[in-house]
Amino acid sequence: MSTTVITKTEIQNELMEFLCRQFLVETEDIDITKSLVDTGIIDSMGLIEIASYISKKYEFKVEEQHMNRDNFGSVIKIVDFIYRVKTS
Amino acid sequence: MCGIAAIYGYSDSSESRKKTLVNMIASLEHRGPDGWGYYISPDIALGQARLSIVDVKGGHQPMISDDHIIIFNGEIFNYIELRAELEQKNVKFSTTSDTEVLLKAFEVYGLSCFEKLNGQFSVLIWNKKTKDLVVARDRFGIRPLYILDFHSKFYFASELKAFDQVENYQREYYAQNLFAHGLLWNTFGDDTIYQNIRSLPGGHFAIYKNGVLHKEKCYYELGTTLTSKYSSYNEAEEAFKEIMDDAVQIQLRSDVPVGAYLSGGIDSSVILHLINKHAINKFKTFSITFADKEYDESEYQLDMAKSINSEHHSIEITYKSIDQYLPEAVYHFERPVFRTAPVPLYLLSKLVRENDVKVVLTGEGADEILWGYDSYKEIKLLNFWSKYPDSKIRPQLIKKLYPHLNHYNDEKQFGMMKMFYEGFLDNINNDFASLNIRIHNNQILQNYFNKEHLVSFDKDSLLNEMRPLFPKNFDKFNILQKNQYLEMKTLLSGYLLSSQGDRMSLANSVEGRYPFLDHRVVDMLFSMKENYKLNGFNQKYILKKSYEHNIPSSIINRPKRPYMAPDLKSFFINGKLTDNASFFLSEGLLNDYGIFNSKWVHRFISKYKDGINGNIGYRDNMIITFILTAQIANYWMKNPRSNKLSEENLTIAINDYN
Repeated sequence: MSTTVITKTEIQNELMEFLCRQFLVETEDIDITKSLVDTGIIDSMGLIEIASYISKKYEFKVEEQHMNRDNFGSVIKIVDFIYRVKTS
Repeated sequence: MCGIAAIYGYSDSSESRKKTLVNMIASLEHRGPDGWGYYISPDIALGQARLSIVDVKGGHQPMISDDHIIIFNGEIFNYIELRAELEQKNVKFSTTSDTEVLLKAFEVYGLSCFEKLNGQFSVLIWNKKTKDLVVARDRFGIRPLYILDFHSKFYFASELKAFDQVENYQREYYAQNLFAHGLLWNTFGDDTIYQNIRSLPGGHFAIYKNGVLHKEKCYYELGTTLTSKYSSYNEAEEAFKEIMDDAVQIQLRSDVPVGAYLSGGIDSSVILHLINKHAINKFKTFSITFADKEYDESEYQLDMAKSINSEHHSIEITYKSIDQYLPEAVYHFERPVFRTAPVPLYLLSKLVRENDVKVVLTGEGADEILWGYDSYKEIKLLNFWSKYPDSKIRPQLIKKLYPHLNHYNDEKQFGMMKMFYEGFLDNINNDFASLNIRIHNNQILQNYFNKEHLVSFDKDSLLNEMRPLFPKNFDKFNILQKNQYLEMKTLLSGYLLSSQGDRMSLANSVEGRYPFLDHRVVDMLFSMKENYKLNGFNQKYILKKSYEHNIPSSIINRPKRPYMAPDLKSFFINGKLTDNASFFLSEGLLNDYGIFNSKWVHRFISKYKDGINGNIGYRDNMIITFILTAQIANYWMKNPRSNKLSEENLTIAINDYN
């Protein structure tokens, strides 16, 4: 993974596919600028499932200091967060 | 306990009137298999199926006096004291039944008689002279009463299925209310999920005059008194113990044997301790055990049974039994539910009946009035944290919210849990209290409804619809009292007491009694100091403290966990739906009924096609249970059962057409 060039678009597409599959919603249900919690897409388990998805797919562990709204407050923020970690 | 049915509105055909009424009563026979009776006249028809408990030989219904006719479902626990009071006023009695006491109390005190009753009931009283019909329901809505408005007549019944016997009437869901029920776990106020059917709210009476609803009034409201009269904890504890003792004692009044449910939690254990104190003979206790140890509480049940030396019986529940008996349970509770927890209770009451017990005392209501639900902790935490949203320490309490859920107390997940709850900090004071979280978790159901139903959800409008029904002094309630009020009006009355309580016991002709819902206990606790109920995060503090020396310490000290049964796991075998679930969730039946979008439902099902791995969250359990039970309830609406009553059991037949 670490040697492959990854783009934000790829991360976003993969994340959206995961969200639709896991939480049984349609792409158009997700406002990528808003919190998935606040918009009712996920419940408390959902955040944990997303963290577990990131760990498996992008091979890094989401640490407690990462778990905040700056990194998880919307789809865009999650994508930025993954991108930052993977390219740093 | 009984089933009651009535038709209000003119009919010149005694034959058709009798036929409809008798069919309605027949559909309620499981509520009262010991006898049935009817009264018919051009203005009204009143019928009852009876489960004989008090005055087995004398209390037949409809009961008639010079001016009135009464049909009554329930028990008046203080009938002995009320009778003595009436006898002081020279009122004469010809039976020893509580029905006659209620009838005479109405004749002496009029509408204010309902405030004098300590009991669980729904009742219809017809005045033959004035032709007024009075209907009333107990304070907390323990016993049901539904009202159908159809073709210029009002039909009344203990269960909705009785209306399926009305000629040319077809029961139909009202989709928006079905969705509201999905959000709140119950419709609010007098709404039901069915078109043209409402329920009389608990604590209300109504008067019907000249063929229309003339007046409806609330005679009891929760939280009228907000100040506690106890100056110390010890004083409060003494008063609480005294009233609990009396509540259990009067609920043991019965002319047939009384047993009790034993869940293994503190609530039923306290009830059992108090029964044991008053019972003359050894009595029977009944428990549910689970093959899946995640749900099983038998260790605690056996500790308690041993300590009171009861004759203990239990029934083991498997995934298969949940799947197998779900359709029968839904037939009785007549609505979608969110968990399969009622099904084991259906099988439990069957066990009770097989052991010749007709009446059981149970611990329902304690979690609401003693703030035992985790939702109270959730609200307390959010309220506390919202005062200092930047606090690092306050949110740490999240770890203590749900001890039975791993992701709450997992240090590694704390950041995620904190983030989830942060979203509620801003609106925790919007009067919805913990319903904010319930609504949040359930709004996803909207996606599964067919678009043509246009079900919609807007939290502010929902709150605006509910607000006028709140008590006048609601703003003076603290946030936990508000939560209690909402829990009692949504989860308790329309869901727990109905789907898990009344219907699951009476499906097998067993009457449940709930000492924690004696209004004296409820009122005393409502105004009591907050920390006597929720002390820090220690739930039901006063209950534990009052009885810590009377019940096994293993039960006092055990971690609290809600009564639950396996949901989603019961409907899948190796990635495939069970035969039952497959039938009710088939594309054909989903499209035929048209409520849910079959593509969405099948997308959900395919999520589990490779089996069930790891934890299933609340949401997926809720979604499948809701949709499946809504489909089954719809099936029973469209395929009502017909039943015939035996003429041998007919005890009262009055034809007033002449």
